Amino acid sequence: MNIIKVKDIFIKELSIEYRQKFALGGIFLFAATVVFLIFKSFNNINPREWTILIWIIMLFAGLNAVVKSFLQEKKETYLYYYTLFDPIDMIVAKLAYNFIFLCSLFAIILIFMGLFSGFPVKDWTLFFSGSALGILGISIVFTFVSVISASENGNSTLMSILALPLVLPILLLLLKISAVSVRLLTDTAIMEDVWLLMGVDCILLGAMILLFPALWRL
Amino acid sequence: MKGIWWKILGVLIFIYVLVGGLTVPLKSGITSTDPGNALSGEHLALKIHGYNSHFYSAKKNRAWLKLDSIHALRALNFEVSSENDAVLHFDLPSYFPGKVKAQPLTLILDNEVDGVFVQPNAVFVSVTDTVHSDTIIPSGIWKSADLGHFHEAKSLHFPYRNILNETIRNTFFHVALWFAMFVLLIVGLYHAIKYLMTGDFDHDIQSASFNRIAIMYGVFGIITGSIWAKYTWNTFWTTDVKLNMTAVAMLIYLAYLVLRGSSSDHDRRAKMSASYSIFAFLALIPLVFVIPRLTDSLHPGNGGNPALGGEDLDNTLRLFFYPSIIALILLGTWMASLLIRYQRLKEKIFMSNQ
Repeated sequence: MNIIKVKDIFIKELSIEYRQKFALGGIFLFAATVVFLIFKSFNNINPREWTILIWIIMLFAGLNAVVKSFLQEKKETYLYYYTLFDPIDMIVAKLAYNFIFLCSLFAIILIFMGLFSGFPVKDWTLFFSGSALGILGISIVFTFVSVISASENGNSTLMSILALPLVLPILLLLLKISAVSVRLLTDTAIMEDVWLLMGVDCILLGAMILLFPALWRL
Repeated sequence: MKGIWWKILGVLIFIYVLVGGLTVPLKSGITSTDPGNALSGEHLALKIHGYNSHFYSAKKNRAWLKLDSIHALRALNFEVSSENDAVLHFDLPSYFPGKVKAQPLTLILDNEVDGVFVQPNAVFVSVTDTVHSDTIIPSGIWKSADLGHFHEAKSLHFPYRNILNETIRNTFFHVALWFAMFVLLIVGLYHAIKYLMTGDFDHDIQSASFNRIAIMYGVFGIITGSIWAKYTWNTFWTTDVKLNMTAVAMLIYLAYLVLRGSSSDHDRRAKMSASYSIFAFLALIPLVFVIPRLTDSLHPGNGGNPALGGEDLDNTLRLFFYPSIIALILLGTWMASLLIRYQRLKEKIFMSNQ
């Protein structure tokens, strides 16, 4: 793995995203609209609903955001990339890009949710460390599945069919961690879940890095 | 004969499990006792209703009410009305050790046909005069109990468990199906890895076939478990972690089937489904093996419940449980091999048409 190459691909991703501002804006607008819709339909969101809704919004907004990550460029461009990059550099850069993208998406959802319905989190370190690990896991799964769905000409139905069940264990752990950080639950052994989440992330990351070279030239 | 012996073996073992697992009777037990509570110092006529018991045919019926390891009370009289019904007469002493106002007593029955069997907390005794009980010297009545010389049940029996009752036989099917499913999934995983390493299309056919049969076993496992839950936990589906985690696991693998049906390009489909199945299997490990162990669960082996072993899986159950796993693996391999042959033929026709 070549760090400079990874950085180059990362910057390339960023500039492509920047050139297509409508896609970026579309996803953030989607997140904002859904938050507003939920605020208007619930009127008064209690902490329990808050934690659940924030992850549901995150899940679907993230799915929309990552599905295009291998579709922005033409198939022919990829033929060129095959000659330029090592597959591991490519996937690590894509993953890093998706991770940062999903983190900023999460930050925006948090800001909107905070604006409309308060911010009930009590244990900040737990909430943000858990969320960061969870978003890492979500971005690994989504990136991996977007590789598969891209080879099927960007079949987004396939993307959600494959990604949603795979992301469920991560999401269930995340819901528990955020419920504890909002003090809906008391669990003294919550650090075990955080470690478990980290373990799941590591396994999935390893699997993705091992499998991507076999998949990327489909 | 060369390639067929294991199929015959699988069928024979499965017939053995079906016949043995469904016909071996349960050990005797007590389903109900009446009355449920009594007063100390009273005469107690305890009506009991047994299950699979032989009070009438047995000659030496004995019964005790046990308080703790040193205090027990022998029944004065054992009136048998039928094989399963009897009335036991006890003279409850006015003295009870300890200062507790309500004492739970365990009923122990023993005869030479059924062996010894126990009903925990059969009677609750309200101690009426706790004030005096400290001053009175322990009367000889507690010592009259001679707990010992128990009989062993003669024939083969499955353990009798309250709530579980006859459904204990489902262990051979529900639990064994999950074990067999995991073995088949691992075989499927092996072929998926092999396919990605060698690119040999035959490994893809094998991987897909084993995974398919494993998914079928998983669905059967959920169905048998759901029916079992209806009779023991009184609901088809609970919020139990293990149930929901396996549901997620099945969703992941059903998505695998969708993926296999999605693409018309054989090579692409093979590569995608092989990678996905490896990824899915790795995502499955924390789901099925780690998370349920960390949280409370109704299942044995989770949340402080004892696992396979100890009292849950006694030797008579093992006699059918392990063969059942072997039989299901052999039958699954057979079914998978049929699928493999079908797919190979399809592939052959496809190739010859071009």
